[in-house]
Amino acid sequence: MKLSRRVFFGTVAAAALASAAAAQDKGTIYYMVPTLLDEFQTTSVDAIEKFMGDVGYDVVTLNADNKTDIQQSQMSDTILLDPDAIVIAPVDFNALVPAIDEARAAGIPVMIFDRQITDTMIDLTSVAGTIEIGHVAAAEIKRLLTEKNGSVTGTILQVLGDPGDPYTLDIQQGFEERMEGDDVTIITQPAMQWEASNAGSIVADELLATPDIDLIFVHAAHLAVAAVASLEAAGKAPGDVLLVSSNGAPVGLDLIRQGWEQVEVEQPLFAQAAALAMFADKVVNGEEIEPGTYDVLGLQSELTIEEWGPNIKIPGAAITADNVDEPRFWGNLQAPDDPITPVE
Amino acid sequence: MTPARRRTIEFLLDNLVWLMLITVLVIFSLTIPRYFQFGIFANILEQSTYVGVMAIGLAMVIISGNLDLSVESTAALSAMVTGLLFASSGIGLGIDLGPAIVMIPVSMLIAVAVGTLIGFINGFFTVKIGMSAFIVTLASFIWVRGLVVAISGGRSAQSLAPEIRMIGIERLFGIPLLAWISVLCFVIFAFIMAKTPFGRYITLVGGNEAATFRAGIPSGRILWMSFVLAGALAGLAGWLLAIRTSGATANLGVGMLFNAFAAVVIGGVSLKGGIGKLPGVYAGVLLIYSIHTAINLMRLPAHWTQVILGLLVLAAVLLDTLKLRLRERLL
Repeated sequence: MKLSRRVFFGTVAAAALASAAAAQDKGTIYYMVPTLLDEFQTTSVDAIEKFMGDVGYDVVTLNADNKTDIQQSQMSDTILLDPDAIVIAPVDFNALVPAIDEARAAGIPVMIFDRQITDTMIDLTSVAGTIEIGHVAAAEIKRLLTEKNGSVTGTILQVLGDPGDPYTLDIQQGFEERMEGDDVTIITQPAMQWEASNAGSIVADELLATPDIDLIFVHAAHLAVAAVASLEAAGKAPGDVLLVSSNGAPVGLDLIRQGWEQVEVEQPLFAQAAALAMFADKVVNGEEIEPGTYDVLGLQSELTIEEWGPNIKIPGAAITADNVDEPRFWGNLQAPDDPITPVE
Repeated sequence: MTPARRRTIEFLLDNLVWLMLITVLVIFSLTIPRYFQFGIFANILEQSTYVGVMAIGLAMVIISGNLDLSVESTAALSAMVTGLLFASSGIGLGIDLGPAIVMIPVSMLIAVAVGTLIGFINGFFTVKIGMSAFIVTLASFIWVRGLVVAISGGRSAQSLAPEIRMIGIERLFGIPLLAWISVLCFVIFAFIMAKTPFGRYITLVGGNEAATFRAGIPSGRILWMSFVLAGALAGLAGWLLAIRTSGATANLGVGMLFNAFAAVVIGGVSLKGGIGKLPGVYAGVLLIYSIHTAINLMRLPAHWTQVILGLLVLAAVLLDTLKLRLRERLL
């Protein structure tokens, strides 16, 4: 694991050095990351810098500390710097719309990473589909419950992230719409501010209030760690209570290896970032993007032209004990070796 | 008013927060299914641990007439250092020092030392340089959290060494060891505050710093020490938090400052300084986590949880204010 991380960062550093000259050729792209308190977002910085470097762009990253007003200010400041493009993972899905419109009016193309905005025109959106993550989780949970109880029955504790974050609410929506009609009881609790000990407390309380919980579904891997700590403190062994998580962070993969967690629904971070790099030239040059199916790091991804512009949706994957070590999962922190090739 | 009646009223007002706690526990036990069970009360004690230990230091600083906004970030830094050194997954280095008898004290001392250093820095700028404690500790709240992100790279350290994790798993008389540690901290520091010259000086300095200085009490040193102790206790809280969550994430402990402040105020500590007792603070912490647990068990719609918690805290503080008015009128 540690070796893999070193390899990853070594690769990133080498790629950054190798692409430095090329990067100066094509220009600068600003990446607005919502926070650095989250492993997915932290790794997204490495991935976007690496892949954009592959296709010749220098990347400057600005962290909004999960504050919408800061991200709005960063947008305003960046517009004045006249970059070649802006990539945003918005803190708030809709609050950034005026700033995006302002940037596009100033001739700066805007790409969206991971968090979808549908209320205004975007030059390119690359998402896994948070609702679809809920769908994948539901399918896996149905499988696990059937294996355990003989049919899709039982009690599920669903631990959300912060209830003010649309990301977690979308996953909840996707999950619950696919579970509708099944003979399951879903108990839903929010872990305020995505803070791990809050999730741990919820699990500890619910194990007493509802001793027959069959499965716990948490919306982020770092919350799963706290859930496991509570299970352990309650005298449970791996597998006594099934555990499913989402986002595919390294800690979630470790829990699968330890036997505590059965499924991690991955957000395909590397592919989401790579898709932006593949189309970066077209976005920067204002060229038309053709709809169709594209191979993004081996994942067949559908690009459609939506009301809000070109939208590429990368399929999420279910990580289990059988495939947990595959390098394609970002949680294994092994960046793809081959450089990204721009779409002609 | 007869002396006996006066004593009764004083006793009731001094311990109103405990009465509030008992009332709340009775109401929740009667109205919320499965609330009334030993395990839930043990959970409340355990969940109160981190904010409780943090609140002891915060209360001491507030009683001394200052503020410390940095305790949450300090706890997060100590937790991250503990995770970084002694966790084996993620960014953890997995340092193995041998048996639990070595791992536990060494990891705890490192976490407490981290907190002590932050407290020392806060005290230096506040007492020696004469800067506002609010500004100094607000700055620490920001830069210390930034340091957590910087040393972790935003990543997490998980799978804390089993020798240390034992503290988070084992129980004594059915109550988690973590809870016993916080109870022990409250007993020790309540004794220090009530029975030692240092404790009394903290209260005196908070009541009137100039007068205590003129009386020959080293008020500067007392204030500085209160910051150092607050940092050390925040460090201890961080160590306990890392044990509870088997490691640390960059956002660990976010939001705990609000709960610590609420507990201190509900517990009867005056934000103006000079007034407050630590047993009341412990009751305040228990009250808050009784409410948290009730909200968990009531399974309220996610969006309403924060609203209800805020309103309940407001109601508790309102009761405390009424208590002060009543005291002024009757006594």
